[in-house]
Amino acid sequence: MGLVAALFAAMAFVPALGNEYLRSVALSLAMWIALTESWLLLSGLTGYLSLGHAVFYGIGAYVGVLLWGHVPLWLAVIIGGAVGGASALLVGFPVLRVRGPYFVMLTFGLAELVKYLVTWIEAGLGQYGRIVVGPPSLNTLFYFMLALAIAATCLTHVVSRSRVGYALRAIRENEEAAETAGVPVVYFKVFAFVASAIIPSMAGVVMMMRTTFFEPAAAFDPVVSFTIITMAMIGGRDNASGPLVGAIFLAIVSELLWANWPQVYMIVLGALLVSFVLFARDGLVGLLLQKRKASAT
Amino acid sequence: MKLELLLSGQLFFSALVTGAVYVLIGLGLNLVFGTMRLLNIAHGEMAMIGAYLAYWLFALWGVSPLVSMLLAAAVTAAFGAAVYKGIFRGLLASNMTLVRLEANSLLVFLGIAIILQNAAILIFTGSPRAYQYMDTMLHVGGVALTQNRLIVLLVAAVIGVLITLFLRFNIYGLAINAFIQNRQAAMMMGVNVDKIQLMAFCVGFGSAGLAGALLSMLEQVSPYMGFSFTIIAFVMVILGGLGNVFGGMVAGLLLGILETYGVAFTSPSFQLVLIYGVFVLVLVFRPEGLASMGRRL
Repeated sequence: MGLVAALFAAMAFVPALGNEYLRSVALSLAMWIALTESWLLLSGLTGYLSLGHAVFYGIGAYVGVLLWGHVPLWLAVIIGGAVGGASALLVGFPVLRVRGPYFVMLTFGLAELVKYLVTWIEAGLGQYGRIVVGPPSLNTLFYFMLALAIAATCLTHVVSRSRVGYALRAIRENEEAAETAGVPVVYFKVFAFVASAIIPSMAGVVMMMRTTFFEPAAAFDPVVSFTIITMAMIGGRDNASGPLVGAIFLAIVSELLWANWPQVYMIVLGALLVSFVLFARDGLVGLLLQKRKASAT
Repeated sequence: MKLELLLSGQLFFSALVTGAVYVLIGLGLNLVFGTMRLLNIAHGEMAMIGAYLAYWLFALWGVSPLVSMLLAAAVTAAFGAAVYKGIFRGLLASNMTLVRLEANSLLVFLGIAIILQNAAILIFTGSPRAYQYMDTMLHVGGVALTQNRLIVLLVAAVIGVLITLFLRFNIYGLAINAFIQNRQAAMMMGVNVDKIQLMAFCVGFGSAGLAGALLSMLEQVSPYMGFSFTIIAFVMVILGGLGNVFGGMVAGLLLGILETYGVAFTSPSFQLVLIYGVFVLVLVFRPEGLASMGRRL
């Protein structure tokens, strides 16, 4: 936990360096931490793997671009989070009845459905993209995102150590047994789903102000969901500090490759996903711990 | 005017063609999912590879897609065999719980899908391609149809029947069937697990490649076509019932009709909303398939 705090403290000083490039890297790093920590709250703890978290990010972006100019940033962020959380609550009950690979595909399908619906609606309105005029400064956005990253990390950390966290893990290991033992599984699952939706929606609002151009295909890009999953797998699935490792690792790869060779980046992403699932089930953190254990004995 | 559209033989015919191709694509996914509980998210990517193969062989050397579809089937079947031997044989043989196995295999397939899609963009660029082959008009009983559609329908029907016969009467087909019904019992009866799994991979992947090559005669080929086919195939598997080949055929035809008529009455931009909408509704409301409609209380 000390290392985590040190990382965030170091990130808070990035704007003081004044380097534009560094600040934008730090912004995207904070965003990925916020997204992956939130994902972990649902999927890491309950084992319900979401392949559609991009949908909340996209909803946030959509809310952000619609509200900008009418309300201040902090209010837009709160409304974005509320809308994302409310949508999760709305679909949570039917969606979380579906399990295993069906759930994974359902979340992916839902995210894509919302993407195409928004595309269709926007086309119907005659809108082919919207623009954010006069966005807040990069520093403001960065501090907002850093706050979200810290909030997400703390939330996941606190929940995973609480009684709720044990209940969620019980659901992951054996849902029937958990229910028999008296865990109100439905409510806990929906709670985790809503909790994991709010911060990504807020991150969507903030990132919207950075990209300034809204287009449904980009805002709801499934690549966001894929990246989140890969970061979580690299970090290890059941540990609040895992996503930090995964996010830093992948953010560096993405910084090096995404802008100039997006396809190469995606291929690397796919290869990382496959290799971590197959060879390092507990992620980089797990690998390091294993080494330490091996050298200790 | 709308009624005219509804009753037009042309529209019905094109719905039938679309449905027949879907049947072929869904069949392969059902085999792999049914026998091993491995959900192949990269299934649509096999269709994409088959489609590109047919496109390039035709564009470069004028090879008929009816010839190259066999090659496409062979190439994708070989890919299936390689993936099975390289990755999934070990995964299936490990003592992982079913839940873990399902989740892990799904993520591995996701990684493979991402790699293949982006490799295709790198190699072929993202722009869609198409070619014209046997697109002369025929008039059959007042219905105007292009020759290639008729051929696609016939070929898909023949392949569908062949695969059904294989599963019904061939000793290996019967073993695959037994596997789908009860894995444990089939193993105790002395079914060669390794051989059957390999065969399911080859037939499953190969039929998707073949379907993709057929489809390239009618529709544009692009690196992004894979995901929607995976979704379509998945809808068919769920609607038709796991491992239920006949049910899958009915579901595929239904889906083809639904999509064609749905698009005809709205607009082409609605196509993806329709596909993903059906997918989400089916998963949420009828995850046990159509066949169980009467049985459930």
